[in-house]
Amino acid sequence: MSDPHDLPQEVFLDEVHSFEFWFQAVAGYLTERPHGHDPNAEEVAISPSRREALITTLCNYAIGETAALEASSGMIRFAPNRRAKIFLATQVVDEARHLEVLLHRLSELGVTNHEEIVQSRANRSLLAFRKRLLQFVDGHDWEAALFAQNVILESMEFAVFQAHAELADPITGEVLTGIIKDERRHMGFGENELGRRLADTPHIRARLQAVKRELDPLVLDTFEDTLEQVGVDRGDRPALGRRYIASVERLGFGL
Amino acid sequence: MTDPLGEVRSTEEQAARQRFVLDDTGFDEVPKKYRRFYRKWGGVNDVLAPNEVLCPVCKVVIRSTRELRPGDRVYCMPCMSRLVVTLGEGGRLEAVVAY
Repeated sequence: MSDPHDLPQEVFLDEVHSFEFWFQAVAGYLTERPHGHDPNAEEVAISPSRREALITTLCNYAIGETAALEASSGMIRFAPNRRAKIFLATQVVDEARHLEVLLHRLSELGVTNHEEIVQSRANRSLLAFRKRLLQFVDGHDWEAALFAQNVILESMEFAVFQAHAELADPITGEVLTGIIKDERRHMGFGENELGRRLADTPHIRARLQAVKRELDPLVLDTFEDTLEQVGVDRGDRPALGRRYIASVERLGFGL
Repeated sequence: MTDPLGEVRSTEEQAARQRFVLDDTGFDEVPKKYRRFYRKWGGVNDVLAPNEVLCPVCKVVIRSTRELRPGDRVYCMPCMSRLVVTLGEGGRLEAVVAY
């Protein structure tokens, strides 16, 4: 096998945006892990208060994943090129799997009324973010939808899930680790696709800066609320915040 | 058409670079044929080899079969990024996203 770093850029882009690449990638870490974890893994004891906090956190993850499922499927219609359409099709499958494994984890924690409990524990800022994201999708606003979903939402999830996976019980940690592996593709797609777009059409930058200003308070409120539930030390939160902020800064969007 | 001078320069440059045999470290986020070109990052105390650079987007270590130098292009397949190797603070190799 030749060095992949020697591939011409167009060949590389075709390869990593393909369904075949996605299929072989996810087979590596999902095979023999039904519902996102080793079926023989044993539950560890969780105190009632930590269990309740975990249920609330997973409910909000389910809302985020539902938003991404609805948005990414809608974006295929107006994605500007073949690679983006095929990639988004793989993302739709990823998001549906995430939602399914999170709901299954809630079942394992004793939750039976998923729809009701997810809605009752929803963070209002996250719901507002979801509503705005779907407005961008309904308006066929490719740049704003891509920025909100694949850069802002995915970067936030990537930072939060990594922190949570380190602190969680083993089964929840394994479920989150599998999701993080998918999130790498999603946020990388968003940053690179938008980066190329900004290079070709720099006039869209001001509009996206306004989108960021509008969404920032919603994201930061959700971020802080989730880190509190997960039990991340206050001292560790600025570093996690920087991980999230780094991707938008690379695209040239400061605070 | 191939530039013969380019070939000579390329050969001389390759000869001066250290070569590496890559083994599969268990990184499972790309198809099997690409796995040895990537590995998990061990955090801030993880010392990178001369043929390795950290992806700033997804924090995976990218590996090459040859010693990396500023100006080299590498791809991060786990997050689909094209990167250019640069010299960072303290002489450490870093990667910058090239959209």
